[in-house]
Amino acid sequence: MWILLVVLVAAVAAVLRARRTNMALRRRNGDLQSDLTAAQADQHRLHMENTAQRNQHANELAAVRKDAEEDTKAVLKSAMRTLQLLADEQQLIIEKAQKRYGDDEQVLADLMMVDHTNSQFGRRAQGIAVLCGGWLGRREAVASVYDVARSAKGRIKHFDRVNIHNQVNVAVASKAVEPVAVVLAELLANATNYSAPGTPVEINIQSVPTGICLIVDDAGLGMSQEEKDRAAELLSPAAPIAITALGNPPKFGFAVAGMLAARYGFKVSVDSVSPYGGVRAVILLPEDLLTTDVPQPAPEPAQEPYQQERTAPPQRLTPVAGGQSGAERGVDRSLGTTTGGLPKRRRVGPVAVVPSPPEPQPEPESNSELTASRIGAFQRGTQLGRDTTTTEGPENQ
Amino acid sequence: MTAGEEEPVAGDFVRAYVITGGRRLPSSDELSLHTLVTVGPDKELPLGASPEVRAIWDLLSGGYLAVAEVAAHLELPVGVARLLLTDLFEQGLLLRRAAPPRAQSVDRGIIERVLHGLESLYG
Repeated sequence: MWILLVVLVAAVAAVLRARRTNMALRRRNGDLQSDLTAAQADQHRLHMENTAQRNQHANELAAVRKDAEEDTKAVLKSAMRTLQLLADEQQLIIEKAQKRYGDDEQVLADLMMVDHTNSQFGRRAQGIAVLCGGWLGRREAVASVYDVARSAKGRIKHFDRVNIHNQVNVAVASKAVEPVAVVLAELLANATNYSAPGTPVEINIQSVPTGICLIVDDAGLGMSQEEKDRAAELLSPAAPIAITALGNPPKFGFAVAGMLAARYGFKVSVDSVSPYGGVRAVILLPEDLLTTDVPQPAPEPAQEPYQQERTAPPQRLTPVAGGQSGAERGVDRSLGTTTGGLPKRRRVGPVAVVPSPPEPQPEPESNSELTASRIGAFQRGTQLGRDTTTTEGPENQ
Repeated sequence: MTAGEEEPVAGDFVRAYVITGGRRLPSSDELSLHTLVTVGPDKELPLGASPEVRAIWDLLSGGYLAVAEVAAHLELPVGVARLLLTDLFEQGLLLRRAAPPRAQSVDRGIIERVLHGLESLYG
């Protein structure tokens, strides 16, 4: 019996102890629970702070980057402007040299190579300038779509691979002449660079209901979907393009095309496949960038200095019709032909070998000096007429 | 930024090497500056002729012109005009004839007599 009692007492004691321990544990648990809540609140607060700081940091970094990008662009833009002007200046010099030494086919061929290299150089400078928010340089005259395509062709390295098929007789408005030529040149550069050497690149110019399409087809490997997506992004840019995002060495082509298309209001796409398996790039020029005006080349400023240099032209070579110049100028048919079949040439100025005295001289015969000078002038005139090594045209001096 | 910032570009829009297509230029011996050229009788301008060839055709339809004159009218280097003319010539579309002979030197005495004669008429 007493054993049972002892066991009972021990059991009660054990239960009491367990209960006390349990109570203590519960209390401890409650404490820990509240600690945990506090810690969680702390953590949340810290997390918020961290996020805020990270956002602020990102914003500041973006602002700094944007500033740096803008600074870089501003510097590059002015540097490119200098290069563009130099390339333009050099182009004029080469042009004059080509006309001056045009009779020597070897010199002319070399000058043409220099001109070709200079054109490519100019295009690069223009491209970078455009990406930096700069300008191309303005053409003062409208140009036929065909001439725009030819001009574009001249700005790439392998221009001899490019063939132009033209079915339209429309001109591009003067403000769009240079941008369209630059964009087309970039597309042609891509087409020739990403297709096998020697394969042709075709330009087809077609009329569509909303304007004119310039279609560039190459026989390369085409582009992957990823490349097409990237190109589409660059060709219709939502925001200014960061030049540092174009890779190193940079790929300017699509970025330049996209910037110019957005600025002047035409469309460029490269998402179709050419019949030759390569890329088909399409420029769509809307009606408002086109004109049906006959291209009127700007009056040639180079004419004036030449005429001033020749103070006593023995004979004016060209029947200069005012305002007309270049390939568009034809012979004035109203002049007709001589019986020998030679075209009659209009004499524009007086034949001024012997400058006529402004007023009748009272005694011309008695003035032996005057007579001598006239004879001299007359002889110089006939000598000039006989001298076949002197060519008279302003282009052939 | 305005469009007014754009500098005008004065250089020829279509460069000479594009007109020649980068082909080898004919030598000046083949068609000298003074050679007279014209369109052959009953010849038609080839289809798809470039603007420069069309301009040459218009120029020469009126009669003979010297190679140098063709180049001057077109405002092209002589070598380029020569290449285009050679093309047309090889297609049998052009006629050419040698330059007119050089004028003979005239005796100074005759010139003096002519001048005196003119002066007595108009002086």
